[in-house]
Amino acid sequence: MEKISKSAKKKDHDAKISGRALYVDDHVMEGMLHGRLLRSAKAKARIADILVPELPEGYFVVGKSDVTGINQVHIVLDDTPVYAEELVEYVGDPILMVVGPDFKEVERILHEIVVVYEELVPVLDMRKADTVFFNYNYAKGNIDQALEEADRVFIETFQTGYQEQAYLETQGIIAYPHNGRMTVRGSLQCPYYVHGAVAKALGYAGKDVQIIQDVTGGGFGGKEAYPSILAAQTAVAAKKANKPVKVIFDRREDMEFTSKRHPSISTYKVAVKNGEITGMDIDVMFNSGAYTTLSPVVLQRGLICANGVYRIDNLRVAGRAVKTNTVPCGAYRGFGAPQTFFAVEMIMDHIAKELGMDSLELKEKYMVKQGDATSTSGKYHFHVPLPEMIERIDELTAYRAKRKLYQNQTGRYRRGIGLSMFFHGCGFTGSGERDLIKAVAKIRKNADDTVEVLASNSDIGQGLKTTFCKIVADTLGISYDQVYIDNPDTDRVPDSGPTVASRSLMTVGGLLQRAAVKLKKEWKTGEEQVIEEHYVEPDFVIPFSLAEFKGDAYPTYSWSVNAIEVEVDTLTATTKVIGAWGIFDVGVPIDMNIIQGQMQGGFLQGIGYASMEQMDYNDKGMIRNNSFSDYIIPTAVDVPTLVTEIMNNPYTHGPYGAKGAGELPLVGAAPAYVEAMENALGANLNKIPFTTEDTMRILQEVNK
Amino acid sequence: MVNGYLATSLQEALEIRAKNAITPYGGGTDLMIEPAENANYLFLSKVPEMKKIVEDTQYIRIGAACTFTDILESELVPAILKEAVAQIAAPAIRNLGTAGGNICNGSAKGDSTLIFFATDAKLRLVSNTGERVIPITDFFLGRKKTSLQADELLVEILMNRTGLSNYYYKKVGARDALAISRVSFAAILNVEGDKIVNCMTAFGAVSDVIIRRADIDVMLAGKTIEEAKAVKQAYLAAYDQAIVPIRGRISAEYRKTVCMNLLRDFLESNGI
Amino acid sequence: MMIKFILNGQAVTSAAKANERLLDVLRDEFRLTGVKCGCKEGECGACSVILDGRLVNTCMVAMGSIEGSTVMTIEGYRETERFAVLDKAYAAVSAVQCGFCIPGMMLASECILANNPNPTEAQIRTGISGNLCRCTGYNAIVEAIAIAAKEGRGLW
Repeated sequence: MEKISKSAKKKDHDAKISGRALYVDDHVMEGMLHGRLLRSAKAKARIADILVPELPEGYFVVGKSDVTGINQVHIVLDDTPVYAEELVEYVGDPILMVVGPDFKEVERILHEIVVVYEELVPVLDMRKADTVFFNYNYAKGNIDQALEEADRVFIETFQTGYQEQAYLETQGIIAYPHNGRMTVRGSLQCPYYVHGAVAKALGYAGKDVQIIQDVTGGGFGGKEAYPSILAAQTAVAAKKANKPVKVIFDRREDMEFTSKRHPSISTYKVAVKNGEITGMDIDVMFNSGAYTTLSPVVLQRGLICANGVYRIDNLRVAGRAVKTNTVPCGAYRGFGAPQTFFAVEMIMDHIAKELGMDSLELKEKYMVKQGDATSTSGKYHFHVPLPEMIERIDELTAYRAKRKLYQNQTGRYRRGIGLSMFFHGCGFTGSGERDLIKAVAKIRKNADDTVEVLASNSDIGQGLKTTFCKIVADTLGISYDQVYIDNPDTDRVPDSGPTVASRSLMTVGGLLQRAAVKLKKEWKTGEEQVIEEHYVEPDFVIPFSLAEFKGDAYPTYSWSVNAIEVEVDTLTATTKVIGAWGIFDVGVPIDMNIIQGQMQGGFLQGIGYASMEQMDYNDKGMIRNNSFSDYIIPTAVDVPTLVTEIMNNPYTHGPYGAKGAGELPLVGAAPAYVEAMENALGANLNKIPFTTEDTMRILQEVNK
Repeated sequence: MVNGYLATSLQEALEIRAKNAITPYGGGTDLMIEPAENANYLFLSKVPEMKKIVEDTQYIRIGAACTFTDILESELVPAILKEAVAQIAAPAIRNLGTAGGNICNGSAKGDSTLIFFATDAKLRLVSNTGERVIPITDFFLGRKKTSLQADELLVEILMNRTGLSNYYYKKVGARDALAISRVSFAAILNVEGDKIVNCMTAFGAVSDVIIRRADIDVMLAGKTIEEAKAVKQAYLAAYDQAIVPIRGRISAEYRKTVCMNLLRDFLESNGI
Repeated sequence: MMIKFILNGQAVTSAAKANERLLDVLRDEFRLTGVKCGCKEGECGACSVILDGRLVNTCMVAMGSIEGSTVMTIEGYRETERFAVLDKAYAAVSAVQCGFCIPGMMLASECILANNPNPTEAQIRTGISGNLCRCTGYNAIVEAIAIAAKEGRGLW
């Protein structure tokens, strides 16, 4: 193990374990008012009238007419309104906020407001969508020829469902005006995203807006863009009130109305000639929900991953993000990749069966290697450790032997084992890092020779405070205790970019390391010094063109192989996960415990995604699973000890050899789980979540 | 206290119950999910007559305000009840939730309620003016409706002392903890010599009320195992007719299939 | 009429109505913000405290039911020797990620060990089965409790 990987005591351990850490709802301000959103009860309608009862003193209503800037929330495109205009586009679309000193009274008033709707016809089913928000296509080689010349063409459609981030701390924001400025604090991942959104909604210059990240109880992407919406709404309310306003979502509101993972439908046409896969023609559809939010970027990543870890020279990928009158979907750990990796792993599995091979045997033939072209005609510049990962998994699980053993089981309990192989592209897709983010990070040495890290990246549990400080301390050769970092405050830190895309350690950690190298050289004891570093794209990167969808989508990739073993009770159709193993290459771990914690946490979220986490909407467009009793995530007794191992494959251009780590562990758990289910049930499966009821249906079919 | 009464004896509790519009409060784990704004609670956790678990010549008497943890820690409670109670929710809920609350909320999903149904338990209902002891099957009138009178409190659950040891129990939920039952099944088969003395089954969470069909179970009474095998198909067919699951989040087909699978497995595990 | 109870070792009174949630009273009246609200429905364990020696979800507890009872929150527990052992164990495996489940987890850990100073892995998992964690996958938390059991011999 590298020296840097040796685990340190986390910087935020003491505050959190003692209960002293203050999350946004723990803050109370003098004169603070409470706000609660009034949301559309209709999936699509025109607002004909809003009947507000007479309000007691100190209580008021905030809506679109109170937006002093522009009534749009800046995300990528700006179609999300701060407060609904004439049209509401999904059940939950925010129309007003009721604000006042007593929360119960605010709720009472909320329930008395009557919105008069002229109902329109919503589109709920993505297959019936008539509006395409985004459309990308790319190809290489000659797929039409491959399809024509094939002796078999495998066609199959795969479906993936919603996933709710289910962070333990719900969304929350406090906004307070002072001296012509607006400060917004809260549970969020991207202070500068929120900064831009609040400035736009208020019509303020950037210098008059301050965003502070509070200790945040989990994000997983759910607090990447959504807080910009809530922050804009709350800031508008606080400006009207000229007082602090706090909005904290309760769990049901959060589950029903905040952004989720995009459901997807993907159809694969795979050409096979003489037992060889000669090409793939892939069509991907993502359900964007009612507004665009982050859909373009999620779709991009999903499409880039569409052919998985396989070298497919004749390739065509077409993808659309479509509008439906349902909750807008956004970022969730994996960000489009889990959807398409599920599809490609399953089709490889099904093709293998048809060709009379075990799926691993087939997959191994096509795994990419260093030097191969990527899907978008970039390059895998670095070593691809899949072969050694597979061997290690087989060593740990006896995968190959079990696959054979578990075929044709009878008996009440049936076991199965499945394997998946996948990557996660490290960092922002394409040239976003270079052209859009342009990250700047700083370190400041104080006169007392302590060093402060100044970056806008937020610790949301993944240990950034610790890892950033470790990088700086170790590079400077000073004690870990001499380096510190506060929660980002846009008044004090530069924009080092958002906490997304598994970029923080690799990219911003890299900037901090460079800054520390410089500081070490120029160190002057007893003096205050500030070192600033700006992002420079690594020189080996083949520039990515979004228009052509071509080039290096990512500078490098993190890799993984997962195996999951299940046991199905055929009487009840319930499934127990009896083993889960993951080998992960995230470059050099900056802290072993932290990286292991990330791998384990992400792995379990992926297992949940595959199995018990089901969410749908009814025929009125309302999400029915809006509580922890109805949206089922794993408890400690639903999973065995997860076996996670880190494989050493340092990245030359990452700090200490680190690469992107946060999202990788979620990306491939689902196909491993479903392949295990296939092994147990003796059937081909093509959807997630693959639930107990789905299992029962298969068991009954098989028994007929 | 405002909006609440804390009784320290059954007498006191019954007086409060008779005179005021109150909601009896056992552990609160059901009531507090969506509490009524102006609810007046009668807190029962300090009523000694409702907190005992004792044994007399006929019954094991479980106080209705005993928590699930009290039940798990009692040496007197039969294994079938412990097995079901151990799978309720999670430790923090079991530390508060009561058998009385589980029964009186009228839900067919009550995990302890199922066991009381399957074992033909009786309920001792007491008011200021008297008391009645009725079979639990008579207490449930329909979906979330019980025959609890406005002046009554459920004080004790009476379980038979004997004949509960050869049991079958399965809870099927969405996961292994914090799960509301989707299907639950409890059954007992008492065999003496070579004859089945009685068979008792109950199906929970599939219908508005827990399904207990002693009239079907009686098909097996008095029979040897071989004779029981001969009526097995008729027995299963009778339950196939009797179990009509209501539609919910989980499909009726799934629930029906699981019920029949578990019933069959119960028989087969007893050699039938 | 005031409701009297013992809170973190101190006799206190609350003017809350009997039907108010203990969670709200602890957070709002007593400013014990270490008691977190994750769902308000007894489904996540973030609001757990130790009531008369037992782990409970404060969102499920009406104030009138705790008259005369003893309540311990993380703010009280952190002053104890047992806390120090668990603290060190959790730190050793970096089990704290976002931290929101952690006060509840720590009190659940205490209740596991108080009932059984030598729990098996299965018993540990059952003991925290009512505390949802979305960050860790539970491995590190289970390991921390096992370490505390070993290191804290004699305390529990």
